[in-house]
Amino acid sequence: MPDLIVENIEKQLGTAQVLCGVSFELQQGEVLALLGASGSGKTTLLRSVAGLERPDKGKIEIRGKVVFDAATGFEIPAEQRGLGLVFQSYAIWPHRSVFENVAYGLRLRHVADAEIRQRVGDVLARLGLGHLADRYAHQLSGGQQQRVALARAIVYNPPVLLLDEPLSNLDAKLREDARAWVRELIKQIGNSALYVTHDQTEALAIADRVLLLDRGQIQQDGTPQEIYGRPTSQFAAEFMGSNNRFDGKIAEISANRARLENHGWSLWGKLRGDKEPGAPGTGLIRVERVRLADGGGENHLKMQLKSALYLGERWEYVLQLGELRLRVWGEEGRAPGECWVAIPQEEFWIF
Amino acid sequence: MSRTLRSFAVIGVALVVFGPLGLIIYQSFLSEAFFSPTASLSLGAYRYVLTDSGFHSAFGTSLLVSLGMTLISVPLGSLLAFLLVRTDLPGKKFLEPWLLVPIFLSPVVLAFGYVVAVGPVGFFSLWTKALIGRVPWNLYSLYGMILIAGLTHVPHSFLYVSSALRTLDPSVEEAARVAGAGPWRIAATVSLPLVLPSILFSAALIFLLGFELFGLPLVLGDPAGLLVLTTYLYKLTNLLGVPSYHLMAVVALSIVALTFPLVYAQRRMLRTAGRFAVIGGKGQAFRPLPLGALRWPAVAIVLLWLVVTVLLPLIGVALRSVVSQWGEGIKLFDVLTLDHFRELKGYPNLVRGIVNTLLIGSIGGALSVVFYAIIGLAAHRWQSRWVSFLDYLVMLPRALPGLIVGLAFLWVFLFFKPIAPLRTTLFSLWIAYTVVWLAYGLRLISAALLQVKPELEEAARVTGAGQGTVYRDVTLPLIRFGLIGSWLLVFMMFVREYSTGVYLLGPGTEVIGSLIVSLWGTGALDLISALSVIEIALVGLILFIALRLGVRLDA
Repeated sequence: MPDLIVENIEKQLGTAQVLCGVSFELQQGEVLALLGASGSGKTTLLRSVAGLERPDKGKIEIRGKVVFDAATGFEIPAEQRGLGLVFQSYAIWPHRSVFENVAYGLRLRHVADAEIRQRVGDVLARLGLGHLADRYAHQLSGGQQQRVALARAIVYNPPVLLLDEPLSNLDAKLREDARAWVRELIKQIGNSALYVTHDQTEALAIADRVLLLDRGQIQQDGTPQEIYGRPTSQFAAEFMGSNNRFDGKIAEISANRARLENHGWSLWGKLRGDKEPGAPGTGLIRVERVRLADGGGENHLKMQLKSALYLGERWEYVLQLGELRLRVWGEEGRAPGECWVAIPQEEFWIF
Repeated sequence: MSRTLRSFAVIGVALVVFGPLGLIIYQSFLSEAFFSPTASLSLGAYRYVLTDSGFHSAFGTSLLVSLGMTLISVPLGSLLAFLLVRTDLPGKKFLEPWLLVPIFLSPVVLAFGYVVAVGPVGFFSLWTKALIGRVPWNLYSLYGMILIAGLTHVPHSFLYVSSALRTLDPSVEEAARVAGAGPWRIAATVSLPLVLPSILFSAALIFLLGFELFGLPLVLGDPAGLLVLTTYLYKLTNLLGVPSYHLMAVVALSIVALTFPLVYAQRRMLRTAGRFAVIGGKGQAFRPLPLGALRWPAVAIVLLWLVVTVLLPLIGVALRSVVSQWGEGIKLFDVLTLDHFRELKGYPNLVRGIVNTLLIGSIGGALSVVFYAIIGLAAHRWQSRWVSFLDYLVMLPRALPGLIVGLAFLWVFLFFKPIAPLRTTLFSLWIAYTVVWLAYGLRLISAALLQVKPELEEAARVTGAGQGTVYRDVTLPLIRFGLIGSWLLVFMMFVREYSTGVYLLGPGTEVIGSLIVSLWGTGALDLISALSVIEIALVGLILFIALRLGVRLDA
């Protein structure tokens, strides 16, 4: 039985339709990332699961128990859903110590004092906060506050852990470390987790499965490898990674391949979606998949190298052919001039 | 829990607001006082009042005073706000709390202070006469009244304009400076135009307060035969020998008919004001505009206003309380005495008045804050049409001057027999005070509640706390300092309150403010001055505590 079933959730805020029928399931022990730009509805979806927003339509089940059903008007309030939620702003109660922040959920559940001390102590120790139990929020660094928020949300073993951009208030270096240990922690305690983020690297790194949301709809649901490596829509392809984009016309289709062409170039790639020859098409390829080549060949283009930018760990070349501009990564500096570019067919998607 | 709280708030507020108001409206359509057995439905009271030439001239005077004081206090208040918030005015940290002091002083005490300081035989008048041979001003005139009303209401416009200026992005001024504008030009062409909505809002507020003035015109206008609407109402009390409640109800309603649209207009203005200002980074440090050579004239303006508005009347009251008599040819040091304070003990009603003032301020103030907090919490994050109903409800009392609320509650206690015994207890006064200060108190509470970020409450909800538990464990603990601050401010307002208690004054319900009003009719200047000093000392003490605790006065 899945830990969480979300069925066909719709939600309107003011005049904007924020969620247009979203459905998904969260399996036991799975970490699911809700990935999307701001305004995609991901936070509204999370808050609907938490019970902080009331959807207009749909049904939500937690461990087989219905907690919301618009059809019957049934709704279990947030406080009775037993979930754990980590807020973007952490929302550490400033008038309670770290210990009391974490212990609050257990106190509400009438756990005996001795057990509270032991369980809170365990969680704090596990998160490396043992020595900070008596501190208050204003005496903690951002990273420490973030861990307190996490401790507070997991201490009473919620069936599902909800995380709303939990790392976005950390600075870049801390964030990279946090990705690793947050995933380790969730896996260790074996919880299933719903993780909202707008940062694709974070979603890919932390999640077992990613839901890509756009304007209130799920664009793609898959493993991180599928989302990045086999996008099913142009939106999904363009949303992830850095891309080179080719606008042109579909000249020819053979099996699942197509030839895209425009002034001065013609390339074969994998056809995604239904297209007829003669229709306008868009070709996309990840920047890291394009290489400079030594000479001509199948799917090679002869282009002008306009400039080479030094980015530290690599060089970026800007190439031009008529209206087509490409970015290509390489290892060494190059002088402007003519050069060949290889566009691997397998990695070139045509939508 | 939250359901009970919310129904209690809506029903409670509706009762205390509509009850008295409804009774006034009912009374206005009767031919006599409502308790008279021969009272019948009639429009006679309207006919009498609306054709009375005294009413017409009172209406005209009220209008003139309101307009005049608005024209004085809004420009001056805006200028002071600019100087104190945006410039490097010397000593502004010290000056700022003093700017708000007139708000916490009872107008009747201030007016009395002006009488004994600069009235025809006031201390400063006689000293000036000794110097130059004549008194070059006349306090008892329309202009005197307008000037003093204007000066004492400067803090109201200062309050709104300064808080708007504080949120203004300093870079818009810096841009003007870089372009070559001096401080006065920046104020006139950049800063003040950008906070125009707040300036207009404060103008509407002061215009409204003009119609509610009671203490100043009673003390300053009466000797010159000048009546405004409130003093006209007060004079009606004993006009016909029998209580002319029906006439009073019509006058009260005519005042409300003027103030209610103003309150409504203000509310509309407040809604649009938010769209105007250029909000800068949160509390970012910025360099105040250097005034240069203009700093000393600027300080002089602020100090002059402080001296005339605060120091002059306070010195007057203080001096008058320690002299046995005063008049032409008397030397100050010959007549110094503390007898007036000792005399107070001989009047049990005055002693009760002092004790009652303390009780209503401390315990009454605390109970009112509890009441306001219940309403505030009920409306807090409540998404329902009832919230806007509640909003309109609490707005209504702002259109009701204390004098009228006091009168209405007197009638409520006379009308509803079961609660009649409460009329002679402090409860009657407390409930009237609570209604008069309802909007003010709620503003304090909601300012405190605004500080609580929604996630803090949501975190508790998700953790498993019901709405009531969230209030108890998160919301209330987080606003407790705000509640203490609100209590101190309400304490001061209740101590300085005078007009609300005028009609409720009786054995058991004496308070300093209404005693001063009634003593003024008897000319007992010695007792008034002693009572005034005690009231000022009380307010000063609480003000001092509040400032030490860091309570923001500009709520």
